[in-house]
Amino acid sequence: MSHQLPAIIFLLPLFAAISMPVVCLKNRHWSHPISVGTLVVMVLVSIINLYNVIHHGEIRYVFSGWSVPLGIEWVADGLASVILVLLSALALLGVVFSRTTSPKALGGRIVHYYTLVLLLISALTGIAFARDLFNLFVFLEVAAISSYALIGVAGGRALFAAFRYLVLGTLGASLYLLGVSYLYAVSGTLNMSDLAERLPLLLHSKALVGGLLFMFIGLGIKMALVPFHAWMPEAYTYAPDSVSPILASLVTKVALLAWIRIMYWVLNATIIINEIPILVMVAVLGALAAVIGATLALAQREIKMMFAYGGISHIGIILIGISQGNQTGFAGGVFYLLNDAVMQAALFFLAGVAYCQFGVRTVDDLGRIGKQAPWLIGFLVVVALGMIGLPPTGGFFGKWYIILGALEAGNYVSVAAVVVSTLLTLAYFVRLFEAIFRRGTTPMEVQVVEIPVSSKLTLGITSAAIIILGLFSAPIIQLLLDQAMPPRL
Amino acid sequence: MYLMQTSVIFFLVSISAKKGATIPVLLSTTEPVKAVNYANPLPHVLTLTAIVVGVATLGVGLALCAAIYRKYGSLDEQDILEKLK
Repeated sequence: MSHQLPAIIFLLPLFAAISMPVVCLKNRHWSHPISVGTLVVMVLVSIINLYNVIHHGEIRYVFSGWSVPLGIEWVADGLASVILVLLSALALLGVVFSRTTSPKALGGRIVHYYTLVLLLISALTGIAFARDLFNLFVFLEVAAISSYALIGVAGGRALFAAFRYLVLGTLGASLYLLGVSYLYAVSGTLNMSDLAERLPLLLHSKALVGGLLFMFIGLGIKMALVPFHAWMPEAYTYAPDSVSPILASLVTKVALLAWIRIMYWVLNATIIINEIPILVMVAVLGALAAVIGATLALAQREIKMMFAYGGISHIGIILIGISQGNQTGFAGGVFYLLNDAVMQAALFFLAGVAYCQFGVRTVDDLGRIGKQAPWLIGFLVVVALGMIGLPPTGGFFGKWYIILGALEAGNYVSVAAVVVSTLLTLAYFVRLFEAIFRRGTTPMEVQVVEIPVSSKLTLGITSAAIIILGLFSAPIIQLLLDQAMPPRL
Repeated sequence: MYLMQTSVIFFLVSISAKKGATIPVLLSTTEPVKAVNYANPLPHVLTLTAIVVGVATLGVGLALCAAIYRKYGSLDEQDILEKLK
């Protein structure tokens, strides 16, 4: 039974997504309980899977009995299992959050919304497990198509942002596929571990270098790495409030996971191809993303736009962590990835509540909330502590291990980039709080706004998770060091 | 966009074309199998899947275009950007 777990986790949301339009054809209000139920089961199965992987080792799942180089292989290793728990839990919170926000914004399209969310979750599960380059491409595309549709589901300005995302996303996917076909032409295999064995003999090949470059550019577009990030802030800002937390916390992070897989599981990341050390290149890209993303966030007026650029800078910090070429940095990077997903979800929940209940979209208007909902500001303080990286939160320990890893590798530029990005993050949160606590800017009409329980619940859980990840950082980092390390690190 | 997807598919076809080979179904079960006589089935499957993915993306793209046209009455980016302001 236990060796079927990866397939079960994947099939749960997929079947729910397929049956949703049929079951909910007449009864629209069933779609919410069905999605919540499915995702609760998915969280439980993911936790069982993680427990199983920790105690009995990784699960290698081969589809329909075709042995490895021929068939498609899925592996539930430590990294994928940890990510899966995070993914299903955040998806559950996102769906719970949408209970009050989505009927207002989506109206009759609510069934489409839940169908697409479940489809997106199953595709992201596939990306986390896949050990076959082409299988990875298919799931990247399924995830991407569902996110285009999710962004555009409420219509309005988001349609335009979704179309831009679609054009760039398809460009990324085509480049990735081109890279995969180069690699296939050179090596004759698509399986990651098989490819990893054959690559050392092919390092002189130009097709290999070209293929890898295409793949990394394609994935870079998907995960909003800095030179290719143009689609991301707009898409996440104009997406409906119940969609952007799910997209912002999961889609780019799982694309980053695919990048990590190719960097460490296919390539031996420490190698030098044609005198270009991959690790240094990725570290530089990460440093650029960390600094440029945070700088752009400082310049934004809309709250969601600011948070989206903050997410871009954090992708850079994670890349810095994983590109140090030592275990400390890698564990720190992955730990920061977990934290960042939670923090992004929390930020976009906050932005969603601010807009849905108070009609606030820009930083300057935030002052209006201050007196009406002090508890909302309380949540914002917790998330801000995490984003800046102050001690009791998980963000601090993530950055701490990343910096330790960089010092271990003697990579002082990376340390500087993390520090500068942290200062810039501090700067834009100071701007946010300055707007909140500034007096006398707007007339205070104190009106009693009822905050729905589901919003309070999701905000409470994410804020608590930011603190808990910090308090339990030592065992989690130890778990990552023991279970989630790449084969040759 | 679709042009790019199609060209990747053509690239896949071009690397897997094989002269004098037949479909990957065994001609006889008694003789030993010679790989030279058969086309490689894998690029075929990749191409097919890539086409399906491409069609799905194109469908979503056209649906978005139609929705944008219905909302803004134009498909010219300049026009729409002006209306957004």
